[in-house]
Amino acid sequence: MCVRRRREWNTKSGAAPHDGGMKIRTVALAGALLALAACEGGPQSALAPAGTDAAQIARIFWVMLIAAAILWIALNGLFAFVTRIHPRPISRRIAETLIIGGGIVLPLILLGTLLTWGLRAMPDQRAPGDGLTVRVGGEQWWWRVEYLPADGGPPVRSANEVRLPAGLRTDIELSAALVIHSFWIPALGGKMDMIPGRVNRMSLAPTEPGTYRGQCAEFCGLSHALMALNAVVLPADEFDAWLSAEAAEADPPDGPGADLFAREGCGGCHAIRGTEWQAQVGPDLTHVGGRTSLAAGILPMTEEALAGWIRNPDAIKPGAEMPGYDHLSPEELTTLARWLMELT
Amino acid sequence: MAERKQLHREFSEELSSLWRIAIAPSVWAIHFVASYGLAAVWCAKWSDATLLGDVSAWRVLICGASVVALGIIGWIGWKAWRQWDFLEDWDYTHPLATEEDRHEFLGHAAFLLAVLSAVGVIATTLPALLISTCT
Ligand code: HEC
Ligand SMILES: [Cu+2]
Repeated sequence: MCVRRRREWNTKSGAAPHDGGMKIRTVALAGALLALAACEGGPQSALAPAGTDAAQIARIFWVMLIAAAILWIALNGLFAFVTRIHPRPISRRIAETLIIGGGIVLPLILLGTLLTWGLRAMPDQRAPGDGLTVRVGGEQWWWRVEYLPADGGPPVRSANEVRLPAGLRTDIELSAALVIHSFWIPALGGKMDMIPGRVNRMSLAPTEPGTYRGQCAEFCGLSHALMALNAVVLPADEFDAWLSAEAAEADPPDGPGADLFAREGCGGCHAIRGTEWQAQVGPDLTHVGGRTSLAAGILPMTEEALAGWIRNPDAIKPGAEMPGYDHLSPEELTTLARWLMELT
Repeated sequence: MAERKQLHREFSEELSSLWRIAIAPSVWAIHFVASYGLAAVWCAKWSDATLLGDVSAWRVLICGASVVALGIIGWIGWKAWRQWDFLEDWDYTHPLATEEDRHEFLGHAAFLLAVLSAVGVIATTLPALLISTCT
């Protein structure tokens, strides 16, 4: 959406080639600001915070930006003053005061203050949660997700989507399988690396229910850019209801869909709780049809998308560690997809 | 021959100034490595250990190291300031190949390096002051 807006602006300024340089610059600046403003509503914007942590980061960003802008304008104003407006020799004393005051003392105080203020935010970003812990594991190129309920109930395994209760702080524990990834849901909070062999902690306190988009933010291989996920923030009571449903075993209907799943060996990699299939190589599919997206945030959860994915995952996500099933007929693919959609 | 002896004497007089120039940045470097190393090792091995009430021990240790480091740097800085001798003649340029200019230049340089090192040590300490947990 942001990109589209920006293009419109480009064509507009391009349509007026007789404009003076100054005017083009003004238009470009206005365009950039508008593009920035247009991004504000997006589901993956750090400037449209939907949580306490993201709001804090957005505030730091704006304060730093404004401080930088003031400094920039003041410094260039000073340059303009001494070179254009008032180009006269100045006394050594004033020059030294300017150099030591403006070049050493002022930046020290200013940067020191901004640094201290920025650092103070860091403990808040991983403040202890209210009980619920979500474990997220980075894989190439998808996410393991596990909920440890606040009441101490057994862990609930899921994948490729994170759901969080609004108005509560949730602990997030991050790990990775083989390579470094980074967990980042800009609308909810800051980013944190996921490193093989260690657990990194952060916490998120979303405030606005809604669906936001996260993205792996550390290059992790061929399809890194296609490793995203949706974060669904629910009102606390709805979240509890959802989590108990997610904890329940699947109740897959018997029939040709289940037969295909068994025949093609999908259960050699995927788990569907409540069935004989318990493998952990690929994402847990117990409630796959209930997710808001397919294949880690890159496709809609529809029958067509599912059929296309199963036919040739590599065409959709180059390097994906799932084999293609292009030997299945379109009817078989649809049957399998329809059956998976029923796993809600 | 006598001239060479004279030169030799002049330069060896500044030997201690040369050492003094290196001390403040070295203290900063050692403090930096020690702080980061201490925080990493301590958090990996004994993250919950505390000192002085309920403050994490590694924070107390780093802040203590900072006080020591700033003390040394402050002392060096003060000696360098005296050596620069700025207030006496308000003269901070040392362009001549004279004993006095050489002496004051080395003081000037040591003083600026001490200021920079002090800022560096404080910046290294800020995370220990403001970030209260290992994780
Ligand atoms: C060799 C192991 C393997 C086999 C066999 C396998 N898959 Fe997968 N599957 C994966 C992996 C790994 C992913 C994650 C790929 C990614 O997103 O990068 C995946 C992803 C999926 C997804 C998307 C999950 C989500 O959360 O969006 C579905 C649906 C799926 N597989 C269905 C199937 C079906 C149906 C079969 C059998 C026809 C099958 N898989 C066979 C490994 C396998
Ligand atoms: Cu990645």
